[in-house]
Amino acid sequence: MLAYIGRRALLAVFTVWAISALAFAIIQLPPGDYVTSYIAQMASMGSVVSDEEAQNLRIQYGLGQPIYVQYLKWMELVVQGDFGFSMEWRRPVTEVIGDRLWLTVVVSVAALLLTWVLALPIGIYSAVRQYSVGDYVATFIGFIGLAVPNFLLALVILYLGFTLFNAHIGGLFTPELQDAPWSQAKVWDLFKHLPIPALILGLAGTAQQIRIMRANLLDELRKPYVVTARSKGLSEARVILKYPVRLALNPFASTIGYTLPYIVSGSIIVSIVLGLPTVGPLLLKALIAQDMFLAGTIVLLLGVMTVIGTLISDILLVWVDPRIRLEDT
Amino acid sequence: MSELWRTRRICTLRSRLTLALVAGAVSAVVAAGALAANTGKSLIGKLEGPEVVTDPAKFPKTFTEAPQLAELVKAGKLPPVAERIGQDPLVIKPLHEIGRYGGTWRGGFTGPADFWNGFRCCSGPDHLMFWDYTGDKAMPNLARGLEMQDGGRTWLLHLRRGMKWSDGKPFTADDFVFWFEDVYRNKDLVPTPSAAMAINGKQGEIQKVDTHTVRFKFPEPYFMLPDVLAGSTDLAGQMFGYRALGGFAPAHYLKQFHPKYVGQAELDKKVKDEKFDSWVRMFLFKNDWALNPELPVLSAWKTVTPINTPTWTLERNPYSVFVDTAGNQLPYIDRVVLTLAENLEVLNLRAIAGEYDFQQRHIDLGKLPVFIENQARGGYKVYLDPGDYGGDMIIKFNLNYDADPEIAKWFNTADFRRALALGIDRDQINETFWLGTGTPSSVVPADNNKYNPGPQYRKMWATLDVTKANEMLDKIGLSKKDAQGYRLRADGKGRLRIEIMTLGGQFVQYTQISEMIREQWKKIGIDLVVQEVERSLALKRTAANEQQLGAWNNDGSEHLFTFPLHVFPFELAAVASSGPLYVKWFHSAGAQGKEPEPKMRELMDKWKRAFGVPEKERIQLGKEVWKIAAEEVYIIGVIGMGPASMGVRVVKTTMGNIPSRQYNSPDGKTPGISRPITFYWK
Repeated sequence: MLAYIGRRALLAVFTVWAISALAFAIIQLPPGDYVTSYIAQMASMGSVVSDEEAQNLRIQYGLGQPIYVQYLKWMELVVQGDFGFSMEWRRPVTEVIGDRLWLTVVVSVAALLLTWVLALPIGIYSAVRQYSVGDYVATFIGFIGLAVPNFLLALVILYLGFTLFNAHIGGLFTPELQDAPWSQAKVWDLFKHLPIPALILGLAGTAQQIRIMRANLLDELRKPYVVTARSKGLSEARVILKYPVRLALNPFASTIGYTLPYIVSGSIIVSIVLGLPTVGPLLLKALIAQDMFLAGTIVLLLGVMTVIGTLISDILLVWVDPRIRLEDT
Repeated sequence: MSELWRTRRICTLRSRLTLALVAGAVSAVVAAGALAANTGKSLIGKLEGPEVVTDPAKFPKTFTEAPQLAELVKAGKLPPVAERIGQDPLVIKPLHEIGRYGGTWRGGFTGPADFWNGFRCCSGPDHLMFWDYTGDKAMPNLARGLEMQDGGRTWLLHLRRGMKWSDGKPFTADDFVFWFEDVYRNKDLVPTPSAAMAINGKQGEIQKVDTHTVRFKFPEPYFMLPDVLAGSTDLAGQMFGYRALGGFAPAHYLKQFHPKYVGQAELDKKVKDEKFDSWVRMFLFKNDWALNPELPVLSAWKTVTPINTPTWTLERNPYSVFVDTAGNQLPYIDRVVLTLAENLEVLNLRAIAGEYDFQQRHIDLGKLPVFIENQARGGYKVYLDPGDYGGDMIIKFNLNYDADPEIAKWFNTADFRRALALGIDRDQINETFWLGTGTPSSVVPADNNKYNPGPQYRKMWATLDVTKANEMLDKIGLSKKDAQGYRLRADGKGRLRIEIMTLGGQFVQYTQISEMIREQWKKIGIDLVVQEVERSLALKRTAANEQQLGAWNNDGSEHLFTFPLHVFPFELAAVASSGPLYVKWFHSAGAQGKEPEPKMRELMDKWKRAFGVPEKERIQLGKEVWKIAAEEVYIIGVIGMGPASMGVRVVKTTMGNIPSRQYNSPDGKTPGISRPITFYWK
């Protein structure tokens, strides 16, 4: 068991390193660099940046050096916990991402919890009461949740919120508390703003998980051991929850790996639409402005989250499903 | 390959967002669509604005100040107001009435790249000279006066006595000399000398005469200097400090970051301590009006929380030299709070919800019906400020395109360009995208503009005439068509297909309008391919001479001589280009690039000549420049004098001194031209 986790952890470190190199290389792929996009931005506003000035900027930002030199320099910083300087924001990357990262985590975890809280019971219910009215309703809502792009849902909710409830548009805080230091009032304010983004982000996932749970559980319910359990006189709740549900949980555990980064990256468009101060909109802007260190750090972060997610799901799987433990040893 | 990847990726994202926008707004638009088509024009009011009082006899004799400043004075923390303003106040007559102190002005911005947002609303305007509200005449601003000598070769700039920086230190001729000698002439800070400091390519000088007098000296007559100081040029005050430009800089503060005044070792230590890469980066940061709250400024508001945070906040400058006619130190409004909007949809929705008090930038003309519908609920009023320039949308022919000789040949055929211009149904475009608020037009500026060549040029090659366009195209040798009715190339290589490059996510929906033109050009047998690209890619393509047609606007071109880049090929770094090789030729005085055709040469010569001649002659030359531009159609004008570019304004009804129409232009820093320091809460 320990050896298994150890091996996985070691692999994870290697993967993270590979991701960092890949992230850096991918960001270099589009034409031009930060200076080009800066010049373009100036040009579209009618200002002039001469060739000499552009050259100067490249030297100042170290953009003239070969890519591997830039990468090694960045890595040197990363190892020290410094992720470089954001060219567009003109602040250290850690500062720019700072609060946004925590808010992203809060929104993501809320969405994840909501997904599970909704999906598990509904999935179980749908399977146990297959083809009942409740099952049909859950299936219907589930498919709608899967089919409607969440950014569209976000827009509709935003518009309805404005026209029907006079709600504040976008963001996670009321304007007065936006810049206030953290306090009880601010946390409560965040809490009040949380349900809508969490629901929008979680809805597609919920629908998917309901379907998975239902399908798996249906498979298990038909197996002989369930019949045996029933014939031995176990209560219906115990029959279902103790064995088939536990087995049907496998996919939940194994999807954590991609759920974690998905909630960060998958929320980009929703975050942009809802105006959430999370990492997503920052990544998009950084990519457009070719703000290398900022974009690189976020991509790296996503990579790390995937790796950690996978590691967690590996461990969870072993814990939930004894058969995997046996195969491994 | 990588280019393709990038373009497609961003387009996909954008089209999803666009889709989202459409879905969200469509119901409201449908409901209010009919309404807007009729009311659009009625939202355009009379051009008006505050005035600068230049007659000292009319100056106020005593001064008053905001209550919180008065308290600081009482507590002994601030000198009395008269001392802070000095002997020569900059007196402004508010548009309607004397205002009241207090309150906050809420607005939205989109991030650190949106610095023009604050420049326009709140940086003073801190130009030495600045436009009157019509945008026509350069008036004294921070400078008390500008005196011409030696036939335009020398200009004496008179400063205001006793005027101070926001930290209370005097603003003197030394701030000009410091900027000129140590900043502007430092190759690390300013690698390329600015065209604004030169006449006919020859650089001028700035000298100190006495504490309050500065001499601008040029080798040849520079009659345009007052306009250059008033416009959004490299000499436009502290907003361009982040590029080490501006004409002056706070010497007493910046010297501590300059290698000439502190030892290299000490400077290196500072750079290291503050985590900058180089002293140049540190210096530019320290001189950034939007980023550095410590920077002493001359504008009436100053940055207190910088632009790279979620809220860009500005507060009153206690040493503001601006006063109203009753002697109240300006601004009236205490604070300006611009909140970060992650995207333009949220920004627009917030404006609709009445969460902004005065917002003009980023307001989308396409949402006008929704804005009108929610006026009462949001407690605001919608105003339209159409520009004075001839093109809210223009189409540039790249006259230097050479990758395909056939297309290059047609682009350089005047009748081809004219025929294409005749093939556009501008009324349809105006109704669809401008809701009828624009004017179908050639590229020439508004009729009241002093360089306008005459009423007959408004519609020159700018009407819909499919028959004539077809005749012209037939005549120049494009008479053969394929089965679908598209014209065939003369070299026998199939259909004549031309590309237009557009940018998405701009104030004007270039891509969608181009798609409409594509449909319209089918009637004249022209196959247009619309390519939306991302900004950096657009720039790369224009610089590499790869663009065929380019869509953009010509805002600013009503100031023909300070903003020429959309009139003829003037600028290499352009998102839509008329010819990069001509640009090189123009700026190298013929040493590089390609010599333009005679008519274009004539246009360029006239433009260049105008800088060294008195105003009357200059106006004549300006008119001739526009005549050639309209006759030759180097650039197709589509819709002009419209409000698409920052011309939709949403203002709370309780805000006072709001003009019913403003001169709208980057050169006028609109709304800066309406002196927002005179806005107040009723």
